[in-house]
Amino acid sequence: MKRLFFLLMLTGVFSLLSAQPRITVTGKVTESDGQGIPGVSILVKGTLVGTITDLDGNYTIETEPQSTLVFSFVGFSTVEMPVANQAVINVRLREQAFDVEEVVVVGYGTQKVKDLTSSITTVKSEELARTPTGQAMQALQGKVAGLQVVSTGSPGNSPTIRVRGIGSYPGQNNEAPLYVVDGMFFGNIDFLNPADIASISVLKDASAAAIYGVRAANGVVLIETKSGGYNKKTEISYDGYYGLQVAQNVLKMANAEQFTTMAMESGSAADASFILNAMQRYGRSRVNPNVPDVNTDWYKEILRPADIQNHSINVEGGNQSASYSIGTNYFAQEGILDMKNEYERFNLRTKLDFKATEWFTIGGNMILSNAIKYGEEAGAWNEAYFAVPILPVYDPALEGIAEPVNYANAQDLGYRSGQNPFPTLRYSDNRLKIRKLMANFYAKFQLIPDKLDFKTTYNHAFTSLDERNVRLPYFIGNSFQRVDASINKSSGIFSDQIWDNILTYTDRFDLHNVTAMAGTSFRDEAYSGLRAGGLNFPYQREESWYIDQSQEKPEGSVGDGGSRQYGLSYFGRLSYNYNDRYLLYATMRADGSSKYQQKWGYFPTVGLGWVISEESFLKGHRIINFLKLRASWGQLGNDKIQASDGAITTTPVNVAIDDVMVSGTQTTNTFSSLKWELTEETNAGLTGRLFDNHMSVDADFFIRDTKNAAIYVKIPGIGGSVLKNVGVIRNSGFEMALNWDDEFANGLRFNAGVNFSFLKNKVRDLYGQPYIDGGSAEFRQRTYVGHPLLAFYGYEVLGVYQNQAEINADPSAPASAVPGDFKYRDQQKEGEPGYGVINDDDRVILGSYFPSFLYGGNLGLSWKNFDLTASLVGQMGNKILNRKRGEIIWTADGNLDADLAVNRWHGEGTSNKYPSSAGLRKGWNQKMSDYFVEDGAFFRLQNVQLAYNIKGLQLFGAGMPDARVSLTADRPLTLFSYNGFNPEVASGIDTQTYPIPAVYTVGLSIKF
Amino acid sequence: MKRYFSITKLTLFMAALLLFPACHDLLDEPAENRTFTGETDYTITDNMGLPLLGMYADFYNSEWEVFPLISVRGDDVNAGGLGDQQDFAETDKYNYNKDYWMSNSVWQNYYGDLFNAHSAMEQIAKYQEFAANKGLADQYIAEVKVMRAWYLYYLTLTWGDIIITNGPDPSQLLVAKLSTQEEVMKHISAQMDEAIPLLPAVHPAERADIRGGITKFTALAMKARANLTLKNYAAVAEATGQIISSGKFVLATDFYNLFKIPGKLNKENLLELQYSDFGKGSGDAINYLNDFFGPQGWTPKVTGAGGGWGFYEPSLKYIKFMLDRNETIRLETSVLFTNRGIAEIKKDAKYATLPAWISNTTRSGDRINDYARALFASGKHYLPSDQLILGRTGYGSNKNFICIRYAEILLMHAEALTNGANSSAMTADAAVNLVRSRAGLPPINGVTNAQVMDEKFAELAMEWGIRFYDMVRLGNYAALSYDGRTFTPDKIFLPYPQNQVDQIPALKEAVNK
Repeated sequence: MKRLFFLLMLTGVFSLLSAQPRITVTGKVTESDGQGIPGVSILVKGTLVGTITDLDGNYTIETEPQSTLVFSFVGFSTVEMPVANQAVINVRLREQAFDVEEVVVVGYGTQKVKDLTSSITTVKSEELARTPTGQAMQALQGKVAGLQVVSTGSPGNSPTIRVRGIGSYPGQNNEAPLYVVDGMFFGNIDFLNPADIASISVLKDASAAAIYGVRAANGVVLIETKSGGYNKKTEISYDGYYGLQVAQNVLKMANAEQFTTMAMESGSAADASFILNAMQRYGRSRVNPNVPDVNTDWYKEILRPADIQNHSINVEGGNQSASYSIGTNYFAQEGILDMKNEYERFNLRTKLDFKATEWFTIGGNMILSNAIKYGEEAGAWNEAYFAVPILPVYDPALEGIAEPVNYANAQDLGYRSGQNPFPTLRYSDNRLKIRKLMANFYAKFQLIPDKLDFKTTYNHAFTSLDERNVRLPYFIGNSFQRVDASINKSSGIFSDQIWDNILTYTDRFDLHNVTAMAGTSFRDEAYSGLRAGGLNFPYQREESWYIDQSQEKPEGSVGDGGSRQYGLSYFGRLSYNYNDRYLLYATMRADGSSKYQQKWGYFPTVGLGWVISEESFLKGHRIINFLKLRASWGQLGNDKIQASDGAITTTPVNVAIDDVMVSGTQTTNTFSSLKWELTEETNAGLTGRLFDNHMSVDADFFIRDTKNAAIYVKIPGIGGSVLKNVGVIRNSGFEMALNWDDEFANGLRFNAGVNFSFLKNKVRDLYGQPYIDGGSAEFRQRTYVGHPLLAFYGYEVLGVYQNQAEINADPSAPASAVPGDFKYRDQQKEGEPGYGVINDDDRVILGSYFPSFLYGGNLGLSWKNFDLTASLVGQMGNKILNRKRGEIIWTADGNLDADLAVNRWHGEGTSNKYPSSAGLRKGWNQKMSDYFVEDGAFFRLQNVQLAYNIKGLQLFGAGMPDARVSLTADRPLTLFSYNGFNPEVASGIDTQTYPIPAVYTVGLSIKF
Repeated sequence: MKRYFSITKLTLFMAALLLFPACHDLLDEPAENRTFTGETDYTITDNMGLPLLGMYADFYNSEWEVFPLISVRGDDVNAGGLGDQQDFAETDKYNYNKDYWMSNSVWQNYYGDLFNAHSAMEQIAKYQEFAANKGLADQYIAEVKVMRAWYLYYLTLTWGDIIITNGPDPSQLLVAKLSTQEEVMKHISAQMDEAIPLLPAVHPAERADIRGGITKFTALAMKARANLTLKNYAAVAEATGQIISSGKFVLATDFYNLFKIPGKLNKENLLELQYSDFGKGSGDAINYLNDFFGPQGWTPKVTGAGGGWGFYEPSLKYIKFMLDRNETIRLETSVLFTNRGIAEIKKDAKYATLPAWISNTTRSGDRINDYARALFASGKHYLPSDQLILGRTGYGSNKNFICIRYAEILLMHAEALTNGANSSAMTADAAVNLVRSRAGLPPINGVTNAQVMDEKFAELAMEWGIRFYDMVRLGNYAALSYDGRTFTPDKIFLPYPQNQVDQIPALKEAVNK
């Protein structure tokens, strides 16, 4: 970059080289690391006399002895030095961290930070590189105010991303923002190598996102992949790391002794007898003879340390008419679940830009991603939670009986299911081959030089998903076996095309700066899929895992699916500023979609900005270097809600008539008739640079309303639900990001930042209904007007009845109550109807699964060749439904967490928090209550990295390439009170969440 | 500057602008891979049977929890499965929990089926417009009506006042009023009167098109059941009399195997849910989840045959009642004994010595080992391991589920007659003795109503809660107060599931009263 600027400067500054010399001053302008900066402009203050530094950063200037020299360079702070008769003046320029001249990508174009009227946060590749992950979005956790990243531990899976809360009813796969990779739309970016990304811009408010119209309601994430550069020397680089993932915060389950105590206190003779059976079968513990001599920690058994590695090679550069960037990457990650659970990805990438003529540029960009994922058997997490600790992994008594391995069977103790998670882990193979090809070609015509451009771009994203799920037979017991080897395969092809045509006009009239853009876009999204299955193939060899080899091909395993949707859009943008002081921004998009009965939607936005620091009363202010107030309003659409049938549909079904399978049809009575959701957002904010640009401030306040929100409305009487556009959901909040960057004379460089967001989710209207039920009947979530979407809904636990006297004294206690049962709050006061009984009117809102406060922070220190960075992340105000504890309402046949076992009520004064062991099994204590709903707040040390940079090293007289060696601990420490091992639960309902491992890596980067 | 405006550039630019609007028509393309009912060609009347078969699929595809909740109350059977599903056990003891998931699930399943039934009737009616044989469409609709009657019958028996559905749109529940049990039973009876003349007067197994499907006699049986609840004994006698007089039905000689594979579509059955492994050891199968009933940890004669969850335990009261009557075949068919269970019976000095045939090994050679959750398992829901198709291991795989059989018809007939109704079809004595004779019991003369009820107890235990609803109807709460339970009239109906109360205004209103 520096060289590029040097060339630009040469042309611009030569004209200034004329003056009346008195003395000659020479010197070197350097960066903090001592390297010379070429192209720095040196002006004699108050004159047009000046020069620029040469390739090594040296300069010579003749000037008056009492003059002042002004050193300035893009991206660096300007420095003024009085000459004061010195002949040598060496200057060190400090890199300016927060440059308002910086250019950021906006939809279908770019803008300078100082011209923005909307809320956009850009994260650069250097920041992404610190997080060892295969998923670029994971690296954004805690870095962008208002962006919630819910991580997942499962290799190859994408984190859940929410921009400014949830505007759409969850569960429709529609919460995700729109990802635009070099102009192409994606639903996720799991195929990208984070190291190939130059920048990620999160367009947070409607005004920024509105140019993407109907796809933008949940925010837009713009991704620019790395490019070469014109006139750029070839740079060959290697980046890589290798590391280990270790499960964190593993939930402590009741051990054999605690479990035995719980079983004995359960009041269930059957459960007590299972303990006896275990003692008979496996012996008695020598420590406590009333406990079986088995103490299995199932989580420990199914977890393993796992590898992670990443290697990238990039070559980039260019001459005066061509620029290129070519790279390849290999990423591999094992899962911490002890089964064939891994993800491997190989990417190839080419980006070329070619100036064919003065007025015609053409370019192409292709990314090929070939990944293979062996998916986890998620059920194993659940099984490990419930598997009783008095069951060993292997049972010697089953040797020669159980095939192929003598895994222990809880049914042999009397439990209903086999419980042992190992058959699930060992006899399942879930392979998914993900192949993506993104191709993107453009041609750009300069119609009027530097004023009017026309660009036409064709994008094609081709995805092939090839899935094979194999289940192998085993025998552990009559009711714990799989007789048939089964194979199910499916293949899905997605072919998405976008054709964009953009006309851009830029001009300046006096103090008026105008950029206008008009464009059209055509989208074609096609999907086709086939699936089939077979039973009983020669499963011993993987080479024979084909449906063709199967003896049996069940009818029900065959399926065919497809969809095709078209979209057509017209859009335009005007951005105008007067004297860099008053900003006006407006866009309009008309979107047509074949998805709904309503075809066209229109999405306008307008933004205003006032750069106060350009006003005379603030210009040149000592503290305030830059200050801009901005406000915007815009409307967006959301067509990611599922396509509606719009009419009754009929589906075929099979029925057995006299032992023959025949087909009939069933006609659904309920259907959705949907239109797109409309999101309207108002954003007001400020951008500031303070204290000699040491500090940057960005603050935003927003109100976002989703109208016609598509909400699942329960179909009365029959369960199930149907989507209807029946609500208005409001997300409002305040976001702030503060950053400080400083450099001390001794070369120590320091930066620190915090960002946080307050967020409130509220349903404003349900079109006449007081509430809409969600969740399940047993674990109710209810959406009330004036409250958050899908709030947990149930009873409030006041405590646990300690003795009969307390029960007798409580008018609301049921006749069946015994000490050790929950005492619920009677929400009615004495004299009010409903007082004196716990009934459905005593249910209240118990909290929301959306955090109300998200925060992140970072700290960086660099000194000489060392860098140290650290970041943290956290959230507050959200609740998690501990559905694992809730599972007892379906079956009491499992283990419980240690906290529950230890802190259960077992006599007066022992607990006011948890019921007795017997009480846990009673319907009274199984009511949906805040016992199941826990605080989901967490704080995490997100990332710590220590790096050593080797620059300009000579070895045996030869220059060595620059290198960087780093040690990273990613997510090494998480603090939370929730009784699970992972407080990051996207839906707020924790049944089986893949734990988030800590990752420790060693990294190496080399640049030739 | 002018040199930049070349013809080439303008042409390229204009071409892009002109091509673009050509895409507009694509927005009107309909969704792919959907069959819109509106596009169904109802003139292809050969397809008229499809919605009917779809309804049979729905009727047969019963969720496993429906039968247990409908039938667990009563002195013939206990919850079993002890230590688990405490609210199921509490329901068996007449302590009800409106928040219990099973209760909500049963409600939703049967109401879901009801709306599907209306939908199927509408679809058939649309074909009827074009059908040459309009009578066939009437017959199909009548068949669906009988299935609909079945759902309403059990909904009202379980919850009392319910909503009678009148069309396929569930949103009617939001405005509908409740009907009393009397109104529902009268509605069923009237519906059956409409259906009866339209249905074929054949045995279900004689139907050529849908073997095992609904016939005139199924409708008559539902009519009899509804009127029995209404204590309209004349109507019961008339309807059962028609079935008896038809001569289409006979009691199976092999009572044990009636509930097993050989009993599929037996001459005794008026209605059964059909399931099948389609004669194959693997692959496609449509089955009821019989695991619920199976004993845990058994030793099947055929190794590898799966056991069950240990729910649904025949009561000691029932077993002793049967022993008192010197019952053999019916007791053997109804109850699977464990050694622990046998010991429990013997604890009562009166039964210290049991007949030699009582053993924990069935006549088919399956050994029922002790398991902690229950003392006995239900024999009528048991399929011997040697009747499984080789390769299948699911408990009761390939077994049908009998809903109404001729023995019940005979005994309803006798019950009506002993309550003063008249019939020329058969006397009460004859009806009861037919059933007794098959059970290997001597005939009785001048049968009383009490004897009929005992016979029903012996014959129909563990079948669809028949015993419980009989005792409730007759107000015989003493019979239901057994093994420490006390039955009172307020226990007749389950409370409406909370989830339904939250959704359906009529229920909310009823609860608040």
